[in-house]
Amino acid sequence: MKIIAAFEKTKELCYTSHLDVQRTLQRAFRRANLPLAFSKGFNPHPKLSFATALATGYTSDGEWIEVGLDRPMTPDTFLETVNAAMPVGMRFVRAFEADDSMETLSKLLVAARYEITLYTDAPVSLETLKDAIGALMDSDEVIVEKKTKSGVKPSNIRPEILEAKAVSASGGIAVAAVVGTLTAAGGLRAETFARALFLRLGLVGRFTAHRTALCFAGSDLLPRLA
Amino acid sequence: MDDRTLDLLLSRVEKPARYIGSEWNMERKEVFDFRFALCFPDVYEIGMSHLGSRILYRVLNDMDGVYCERCFAPWTDMEQALREMREPLFTLETKSPLKAFDIVGFSLLYEMCYTNVLTMLDLSDIPFLAAERDESYPLIVAGGPCTCNAEPIADLMDAILLGDGEELEPELVNCVRKAKADGVSKRELLLRLAAIEGVYVPSLYRPVYENGRYVKTERLHERAPLHPVRRVVRDLDSAKYIGRQLVPHIQIVHDRVAVEVMRGCTRGCRFCQAGYIYRPVRERKMETLLEQTRELVRCTGYDEVSLLSLSTGDYSELHTLLPRIIDDMAENKVSVSLPSLRIDSLLKDDLEKMQTVRKGGLTFAPEAGTQRMRDVINKNVTEDDLLRAVTDAFTAGWCGVKLYFMIGLPTETDEDIVGIAALAKKVSDCFYRLPKDKRGMGFRVTVSVSTFVPKPWTAFQWCAQDRQEEIVRKQQLLKAALKGVRGAELHCHPSVLSVLEAVFSRGDRRLTNVLIDAYRNGCRFDSWAEHFKPDAWEKAFSANGLTMDAYAHREREIGEPLPWETVDALVKESYLRREWARAQEACTTKDCRQGCNGCFGEHCEDYCRV
Repeated sequence: MKIIAAFEKTKELCYTSHLDVQRTLQRAFRRANLPLAFSKGFNPHPKLSFATALATGYTSDGEWIEVGLDRPMTPDTFLETVNAAMPVGMRFVRAFEADDSMETLSKLLVAARYEITLYTDAPVSLETLKDAIGALMDSDEVIVEKKTKSGVKPSNIRPEILEAKAVSASGGIAVAAVVGTLTAAGGLRAETFARALFLRLGLVGRFTAHRTALCFAGSDLLPRLA
Repeated sequence: MDDRTLDLLLSRVEKPARYIGSEWNMERKEVFDFRFALCFPDVYEIGMSHLGSRILYRVLNDMDGVYCERCFAPWTDMEQALREMREPLFTLETKSPLKAFDIVGFSLLYEMCYTNVLTMLDLSDIPFLAAERDESYPLIVAGGPCTCNAEPIADLMDAILLGDGEELEPELVNCVRKAKADGVSKRELLLRLAAIEGVYVPSLYRPVYENGRYVKTERLHERAPLHPVRRVVRDLDSAKYIGRQLVPHIQIVHDRVAVEVMRGCTRGCRFCQAGYIYRPVRERKMETLLEQTRELVRCTGYDEVSLLSLSTGDYSELHTLLPRIIDDMAENKVSVSLPSLRIDSLLKDDLEKMQTVRKGGLTFAPEAGTQRMRDVINKNVTEDDLLRAVTDAFTAGWCGVKLYFMIGLPTETDEDIVGIAALAKKVSDCFYRLPKDKRGMGFRVTVSVSTFVPKPWTAFQWCAQDRQEEIVRKQQLLKAALKGVRGAELHCHPSVLSVLEAVFSRGDRRLTNVLIDAYRNGCRFDSWAEHFKPDAWEKAFSANGLTMDAYAHREREIGEPLPWETVDALVKESYLRREWARAQEACTTKDCRQGCNGCFGEHCEDYCRV
């Protein structure tokens, strides 16, 4: 059987990488004594896969994983035993049982929601923020320099932005809520959206990103886009 | 430090996870009245791998009312961020500045980290020199193997801790605690500390120099012992072990469970300082080790265990212990590794056993290329031993082996250098001699060569180090000799660093000012090739009227006063002299498990029960 579960990543733990998180989960599962299913082969490893990776530096309300188990376990027991073995800053918030025939999470993934906070070098009013986001959404093209394997290239991220709205703005802190496409092939990065918004505002600064949800298609148990 | 400031700092550095703490098994305490900052003057990934610090973290945090927190040297990007934001260096547990602690203790594992000690004090707004710090500052102490000659950093430290820390550190804490309760002066505190076995208070001694040379040390107070003695934990089996080992979020150098099977080594390799200063050998019982391994694996979730010691192959019950631990761990797919393998043992069965779990790298340390040279350094292995061991390993499926050597050893000739290549050739032949279907693919024999550094408290403590030109010539000679050896790869440790290491390992107190000047000239992380600034060091030496040459390349006369002899590391000078005389005749000394060689002189009976 497999367990499908979501964990939150908060505070300083946002500075750990996807690889770090993989190790942390594997070790937490071992500490929790989960009946982990192992892959076959010379170097067996636990059957653990992620819907997607979370960029280093981002926090999240719900990162989804699936983990294969050799013996059945109720979702409640899973939550209880695993959370007792998780480091402060990471905690499972939901879990359910799925049969092995369920499509993998990475294939079901369609989008992600973010809350992006800009720390700007000059004050921004809520109106200005609303206008800037409105202008982005009304454009056919939003061009941002994107780093690729073959160097930095201009890229149109407008098709990747599904929704965006201003949440709050006061002083030098402006918050936007964004929904972007996200599939195994890629999608909107909070970082590129933040840069596009900075450009539109004509300001510079740093930003933080918080993923509020991953959205899936094809299963009623997982959070959906609508 | 508030969250916003921390976030800003972290957003400015390349590897923020080095500074966040919050690892599994990190100590969180609400109630405490005594704070100890356990400092490691190198980056997180290195410091977190250090066995001694892991033990002390446990020992100190198990004390009632004591909260021990960790602090590592900030990488240069964090140092810059802290300076620009005018923030002090902080601990991982509560993000507190070092100034807020009662004791700040540094682990000194290698001389090349000394400038980082200064960075850490500087970023904490703590004056470098002990004499410039009054009661309002934390007590600054240092421990670790470097303290067997602490003279180059003696003026920085209020107290220096010699030897094993398991019993010593709690005594230190209790003494400081009581002194604070009694409201005594720093001077009185230092005198009280000096009475603890294993504590060396540098300010109670004054070295004397004549004609540019160290001649003697004057004791300044009758309450200070004539020679502070290295502390030894007699019963390792019941001594505290790591217990709830911290599990880092980021990958560290030794990212696995560490089980210390024994302390000390009986081999008597004449170049090896650890071999001398961790004597006598003390083993943990097999049952204790099995128990500790299970507990460590259970409470960390690690899937790899390493059986640590200076020479795990010498553990008396190894061939019973290893299969039992491997069987014990296999159920949960936990692999077992040994950091060092003894060449002259019947390895075959163990190797095959270990391979069933996971195949790690295989390293051997013949240290020298010819039998004569190995006899000089008392590395009692023969070529046959090595070739039999690698053949066993190759037959068991290994197809890569790493060989460690040193060059610049006392009495070394070009024949010994060429001998290294000859040995690598024989190892290579052992592989290719196997039938094709019985051996792996992609064979590699890595020849890793470091430069010999003469160390205090060894048989070679009087020797001159080869000058750099000579080392480079020998490296070239070896490189040429290795041409045409199938699968051979040569790695040479940069020799410039070894010179500085030689200077500081046998240095005296005059080097403190050199160190401070070098730090001000920008020296940091000297063991990292990309940061090492030879010119800045050169400038610091000449500004103080000293030369590296006089420390590194001068042969000391037998009987000449040596600056480190202010402390007593237990191994007798007469024994070291004897060993040096035998070395010059290429005459070996037996492993002391086969009979006492008398290294502790009249104290052999007290300390050693091998």
